[in-house]
Amino acid sequence: MVHKKKKPASATRRLHRTLGAAAALFVLFMVLTGLAINHANGLGLDRQQVTFSTLLDWYGLDEPENLLSFGLGDAWISFAGSQLFFNEHPVATVNGGAGAVSVGGLLVAASSDELLLLDPDGALVERLPWASIDPQPIRMIGLTSENAVVVRSGGRLWTADADLLNWRQDADTSSNLRWAAPQPAADALQQAIGRAYRGQGLNLERVLLDLHSGRIFGPVGVLVYDLLALVLGFLAISGLVLWFRSRRNGKSK
Amino acid sequence: MTLSLPALVFPASVYETQPEFLARAFSGPPPEPGILWLSGERKSAVRQILGHDYAALRLRYWCQDGRSAWVLEEIGKELPITVGIITEKNYISSLRVLTYRENRGGEVVAAAFTDQFNTAALTDNNGLDVRIDGISGATLSVQALTRLAAMALFLHAESGCSDGA
Repeated sequence: MVHKKKKPASATRRLHRTLGAAAALFVLFMVLTGLAINHANGLGLDRQQVTFSTLLDWYGLDEPENLLSFGLGDAWISFAGSQLFFNEHPVATVNGGAGAVSVGGLLVAASSDELLLLDPDGALVERLPWASIDPQPIRMIGLTSENAVVVRSGGRLWTADADLLNWRQDADTSSNLRWAAPQPAADALQQAIGRAYRGQGLNLERVLLDLHSGRIFGPVGVLVYDLLALVLGFLAISGLVLWFRSRRNGKSK
Repeated sequence: MTLSLPALVFPASVYETQPEFLARAFSGPPPEPGILWLSGERKSAVRQILGHDYAALRLRYWCQDGRSAWVLEEIGKELPITVGIITEKNYISSLRVLTYRENRGGEVVAAAFTDQFNTAALTDNNGLDVRIDGISGATLSVQALTRLAAMALFLHAESGCSDGA
């Protein structure tokens, strides 16, 4: 029996094999993340908040610097950064926090540029843009002695009707008013709000996009991905070269 | 090492304020606002139109001489788009984006796009009776505005404003 001596692989073939094997995992990773990104909306990944604290730390998402809480009976309304919370549940994104009061079965939270009406379960009833009443930002919210909601914006005082539909400008009678003042919430509530606040800043689609582009690893990650992209380009070219070479060798036999 | 998420926050573009919208909707000072609660069958119908519950339980609207004005919000991709819609009789007479917050899809604020909603009426299954041409790259915003247009027409009928209420 005659053994045909195996011809040693060319340098191009050896490099193609080595780089191909090394790039296989990267290609699979890009395929999976690419598919997920393409269907992120349908899969609800853009609405899925990240709660993994190590990842939140990696993104630099800290707990809110300022937490203003207002106790209204059994419920707490809190302003944490740009988020409004009903107890530990995020309700809406707001611009600053001026205070909160309870009136007629509704909770009224005042940010600097709008009033948010919540029902006793924390469901959003209505958002009232304050600019439609006064161009000056809201500074304080409180109640009159007749339990009407009163707001101070700029140097003006505004009093609402019972439905919070119409507002009239009043003379400043602040001695009869009870302005909302922040109170320290329980530690457990503060910690729960901190966790929820951090998660609001990052969704799974964002993480996948950063994984897919390499940006999650910073500028170095992008450069590494560039290098891997060049390797894939080399594999495409070396694959074509090897294919043409094997065709030519096949014809010459 | 940390990533720079603040770079992802885009400022909202305000194209028309609510007072400006109301001034355009009504000749002279706007009427007193009315309230429409989204509860019961009305809430279900709105859910069917939007594909989800509206983000608030009550809406204020302005009605005069059979014409009503609505300021509604709907999320395009991630952030709410504020839209001012004027309806009269049973059709839309104007739809304009008041505030746009998304970083993509802002082409929907162009009058060339929003004018497509003029004269749109509601079909029996709470859709629009006109075809709205989409915009490449702004699909979710186009869909959001189309849903709000149908919602405004439904609410206009619910408010009784078309009867001169």
